[in-house]
Amino acid sequence: MKSKIFFFFLLITLGLLAWGTYQALEVAPPEATMGDAQRIFYYHVPAATAASILFWGNFVASLWYLWKRSPVADALAVTGAEVGVVFFGVVLISGPIWARYAWGTFWVWDARLTTSLILWLLYMSYLVLRRSSEAGSTSVMAASMAILAALDMPIVYMSNRWFRTNHPQPMIGTPNLNPEMQKVLLWNMLAFTMFALMIAWFRYELERTSQKINHLHIQKTAQSTSLAMIAPVALFFFQDEKLLHEKMVQHHYMVAGYIAVWTIYIGYLLYLASKLAKLKKEEAELRA
Amino acid sequence: MSAATTKSIAPEAPRKSISITSLMWVNVAKDLRLEWRSRDVLNSMLFFSLLVVVIFSFAFSPTADESRKIAGGLVWTAFLFSTIMALNQSWARELKNGVLDAYRVSPAPAEALFLGKCLGNFIFVVLLECLMAPLFVLFYNLSSVGPLWQLVVIALLGTWALVVNGTFFAAMSLRTRNRELMLPLLLLPISIPAVVTMVAGTTQVLTGEGSPAVQMKFLAGFCVVFTAACFLLFETVLNAE
Repeated sequence: MKSKIFFFFLLITLGLLAWGTYQALEVAPPEATMGDAQRIFYYHVPAATAASILFWGNFVASLWYLWKRSPVADALAVTGAEVGVVFFGVVLISGPIWARYAWGTFWVWDARLTTSLILWLLYMSYLVLRRSSEAGSTSVMAASMAILAALDMPIVYMSNRWFRTNHPQPMIGTPNLNPEMQKVLLWNMLAFTMFALMIAWFRYELERTSQKINHLHIQKTAQSTSLAMIAPVALFFFQDEKLLHEKMVQHHYMVAGYIAVWTIYIGYLLYLASKLAKLKKEEAELRA
Repeated sequence: MSAATTKSIAPEAPRKSISITSLMWVNVAKDLRLEWRSRDVLNSMLFFSLLVVVIFSFAFSPTADESRKIAGGLVWTAFLFSTIMALNQSWARELKNGVLDAYRVSPAPAEALFLGKCLGNFIFVVLLECLMAPLFVLFYNLSSVGPLWQLVVIALLGTWALVVNGTFFAAMSLRTRNRELMLPLLLLPISIPAVVTMVAGTTQVLTGEGSPAVQMKFLAGFCVVFTAACFLLFETVLNAE
């Protein structure tokens, strides 16, 4: 039953991703000065939205864990942080590629950029803590760390606003956003949020499986999805082919952005797949 | 734990509640006494920051005017890393003789231990700053354009901000495989806003460009928020099994 729902969810997500990408590449009007390079916007912003949802999920799950000590909450917390870091990595990669074209430089110590980088660093250190802490105490310490990280965020935001405002560039939410572009952006936000939730669901099932294996109660939770994961890869190749023969610089930036972003997504999915394979092997060994 | 605590909370004795503050002072006194006898922490911190001062002055060799602009960053980098050294030592010491386990068993509140540790580390770092400040002045031709008392306020608030988070994360990194490596990895991302503010405030006082009132308020807020959060979460972390 669960795998059927997941599959349904996956189909919708892929459909939305294809639709969103089509909208971003074809339907959205080219921006007056930046041309196609501006289309990076349509997956930069949605990835940020998805990541912030996931980080919030991590915070809520961590509070829940400290309150109830439920392994479900712990699995949700690790899922939120890890998938969030991947999506935020996409934000941090695609942003500079756009910035190289728009501003002429990859990185500026602008308030929003600095804040984002620190956010990413915080959740990286959360993941590092999870990896290297002693077995029994991981969940509690990670939950405490998550709460401190979440507390730090508004402070980081304020401190950058006050002390590092070199030149805040209005990047999103400008009032003169073309309504056509806004529609495309919203479609992409929906698509990428669904995509993030789908990966998160998959990651969560993996975590639950590994928790169960840890307790030697083996269940076949995460078996239905390994094949379906290849679909996003196919989508990627399918989407980009018709663009490659055009030689404009703006196109190059856009394509570079796409390649960088999907390399991250696919790399992460492959990592999850290898984890799944390892867990399955372990499961088989335990059964034997 | 020190003798004073265990004696007064012996099982037969009628439960006389001991205030957190007195327990905290017992902890501070114990830390200071240990440090006075061994001088491990202070010696290594002092020598380390001396090395940093020398290396930086080779690397930059600034004029008096330039050094005003960069000194904020230099001073706080040196103090930040020496603080990390002190913090790593402070809990490792408790681990050796099973002191932490004893503390977990005892009915004394964990918060007293935490505050005691924080205060102890705070005293060490402030001492270090007092000793190192003249050297910085000497080597970098420093003189402050702004009022000096503001520097003292910024230093005290900044040190508390570093120490409170650092003590908490050092207790956390005790439970990790590569203890001493973990502390900076956890502490630095969280403390970035405090460090940035300390550096900005110090530079403003030294160069006399504008008042650091915003920075001081911000640091005070940071201290309050994180002291409260660490205070509340410490017992959970201490007993994490």
